[in-house]
Amino acid sequence: MDSRQFITRRGFLKRLSQLSGGLALTGFATWPIQIPRLAWAGQKSGGFIVEGVGQKENYSVKLLVRNVFDAAGGIQKFISKGDVVAIKPNVSWARRPQLAATTNPEVLEGVIELCQEAGAKKVRIADNTIHYASRCFALTGVGIVAKKTGAELIYPRSSLLRDMKIRGHRLDVWPVFVPLVEADKVINLPIAKVHGLSGLTLGMKSWIGGVGGRRNALHQDIHQSIVDLAQFFRPNVTMIDATRIMIRNGPSGGSPSDVVAKNTLILSDDPVAADAMAATVLFGYNPKDIGFISLGQKWGLGTYDLDKLNQKRVLL
Amino acid sequence: MSSRLLLWIRRISQTFFLLLFVFLLVETHLPQDVYLDYSVAFSTEQDIRLAHPITFFFQLDPLIWLTSLLSGYHLIKGFWWAIGLLLITLLFGRVFCGFICPFGTINHLISWFRPALKGERMIRANRKAPSQRIKYFLLITLLLGAIMGINLTGLMDPISLLFRSLGLAVLPGIGTGIKSLFDAMANSDIKLLNLFSYSAEIFVSPVFGYGYQAYRMAWFIGLFFLVILFLNRIRPRFWCRTLCPLGALLGIFSRFSLLRLVKDTKKCTDCKLCTKKCQGAASPMPGQEWENAECLVCLNCFDSCPEDALSFKFRWSPGVNKAPDMGRRAVLGGLVAGISLPFLGRLDGRVNKVSDARLIRPPGSLPEGDFLRLCQRCGLCMKACPTNAINPAITEAGMAGFWTPHLVMIQGYCEYTCTLCGSVCPTGAIMKVSAKEKIERPIRIGSAYVDRGRCLPWSGNAPCIVCEEHCPTSPKAIYLRDDIVQGPDGKGFSVKLPYVDLKRCVGCGICEYKCPVRGKPAIRIIAAGESRSLRNQILLGS
Repeated sequence: MDSRQFITRRGFLKRLSQLSGGLALTGFATWPIQIPRLAWAGQKSGGFIVEGVGQKENYSVKLLVRNVFDAAGGIQKFISKGDVVAIKPNVSWARRPQLAATTNPEVLEGVIELCQEAGAKKVRIADNTIHYASRCFALTGVGIVAKKTGAELIYPRSSLLRDMKIRGHRLDVWPVFVPLVEADKVINLPIAKVHGLSGLTLGMKSWIGGVGGRRNALHQDIHQSIVDLAQFFRPNVTMIDATRIMIRNGPSGGSPSDVVAKNTLILSDDPVAADAMAATVLFGYNPKDIGFISLGQKWGLGTYDLDKLNQKRVLL
Repeated sequence: MSSRLLLWIRRISQTFFLLLFVFLLVETHLPQDVYLDYSVAFSTEQDIRLAHPITFFFQLDPLIWLTSLLSGYHLIKGFWWAIGLLLITLLFGRVFCGFICPFGTINHLISWFRPALKGERMIRANRKAPSQRIKYFLLITLLLGAIMGINLTGLMDPISLLFRSLGLAVLPGIGTGIKSLFDAMANSDIKLLNLFSYSAEIFVSPVFGYGYQAYRMAWFIGLFFLVILFLNRIRPRFWCRTLCPLGALLGIFSRFSLLRLVKDTKKCTDCKLCTKKCQGAASPMPGQEWENAECLVCLNCFDSCPEDALSFKFRWSPGVNKAPDMGRRAVLGGLVAGISLPFLGRLDGRVNKVSDARLIRPPGSLPEGDFLRLCQRCGLCMKACPTNAINPAITEAGMAGFWTPHLVMIQGYCEYTCTLCGSVCPTGAIMKVSAKEKIERPIRIGSAYVDRGRCLPWSGNAPCIVCEEHCPTSPKAIYLRDDIVQGPDGKGFSVKLPYVDLKRCVGCGICEYKCPVRGKPAIRIIAAGESRSLRNQILLGS
């Protein structure tokens, strides 16, 4: 037989398809749905909540961030050396920060710098935006903050969404924005604003920006969906940015007349308490009246009874 | 200068301009990393613009300049490039075709890379053929049509055609392919593949972005392009010789070219190598009359002649060159077609009588009649649109508006403060507006209406409000009313029902795009109410 065996075009294609089909099959077979990090965990006790208010004119937002974290025991309490930290700001809309539709970039910058001081190996900024992502990053100021601080700004995309077990009461399997899960520490950094259906957009609701898929269907049972997602993501700490809040036309706003300056930051390791305090202090609600807050307490995610927590107030 | 050197200059120039074209094409999108300083510049809504002169080739194209002027009475920005090119053509002939045109270069490359014909057959294919008159027919048709009010130039103009084909079909085609590969790798359970896909996706994102770009009928645009490329196997540079209307225009202008092919009949040994290498079928052989208007100035004949019987020389003698061989039939046919085309184009009534509800033009578009006089269908706005909403029209704009841009709201939406499409339009069919203007005037592109049968709360199926949540105007054009509706089980439950305030709605379409009812959403945009038309209005106004 001739030792030089020529492969025909047809034969090559056939072999290629066999090979790739085999590969695909192996891939498919070894493709389980990711097990979540945490199942329904019991309520932690001894939580804290810090409210920081900048009273002086031209106070430094970054300093307020630092003082608030210091009051809670310092950033080292949350971030250890070598950690990969994922920060989840709310940058859903391509709006300039003055319109209070998105997290104040100065707050974000302050938190990133603290994490870097604490020795974080990598700080990632991740949010699955509603408007076109690069416009959101540009207009909200998140892009330039990432560039200035050297934090990694993750561009949301389909390859970073993966079906995961939410194990909620309403949501079972849902595509999750992976960078928010694959991190040692997670910091939720939402902005406080009003919302047509859920009443308010605060910390827990912000996790809708942590998933993908048909998230516009979540509104059909919005409060339980919010609690399911908040339960799944479980940030190490939540800081609600209320330097500016949106009081009308939420959650997208669009006019300076929708915005009120509150110069407030709320920090807590209890996601329900953080939202409850924001609802009370900033918007004058009774937290029990906000569906996702009372549901959050009901399912043991935290408490809206702020007296159970170690409360502190920081003024600047 | 030696012929070798000249040939290399040509090749370098061709490569440079092809690469420049591809570079500008790739840059025609919103970069992933735009940085704006939020603390300083944000006194008003910020306009994001592209950094590069992406319309350069459109400014260089005299056909686009001429038809915009004749048809839309509009001098496009940077038109002096085109005038400069015409002057160069007057002096040097069709050097644009041989040295600059990126589409010519692609055709040249394909003809050269795998010549379909060999020896005697190639010589026969390179003889001047009557079919070369078709391009003059097309040129006359397009110019006359433009004067008569329907500007179809962009369908055949090589720059528009190349941009459309590469930008809407070839690039998204490759992008879709590799994006699906990345998604598959990211979904696999092998960590190495995940990491590779992550960094590879970042690496290609400046060219392909992070999403799946898609354009309606892009397959046909791509097929049309492939057919043109394939035609090179019948004759080298088939498109340039036979079809290109820009080549025809430059051919006419090269009549007075001072750079001429000088033939020495005595030296000629009749080897026909010059004809074999000729890209334009311009009869370079001594003994035949040189077809100046067909010559692409590729200089192949000059280089290939072993006897030095041919040379390109400047001759200052006042005599004109051979007139372009248009043929009476091509001219008459062009006249008839050019006059009748605009009437045919208006017969479906789209321009004067009816307007399609789904013909939603990009923000800042001129009124429909003026729009059709200027739009080149080049696809710049479609490629630049960050949300992929702008798509080529198929039937929405009628025959005269084939492949013109319109917004498909189930594919994307118009971002409230984005004005990129107007800033990239090379002819001004979409006006350049600022974000401030767009919001404050406001520029409406249509209006939303609720389809109550489909709407989840209206039909008693579920609470929703997604449309209201996304509505970008302040105060919102979509407002909610608390109400009790009957659910499928007959029991009443309280919902918030969406209503549209037409006075506030700008037709941006984000409500349609984000509506959970997929395919045919429960809230949709129609073109009625668009501010560019006085007639296509709903409200009486104030």
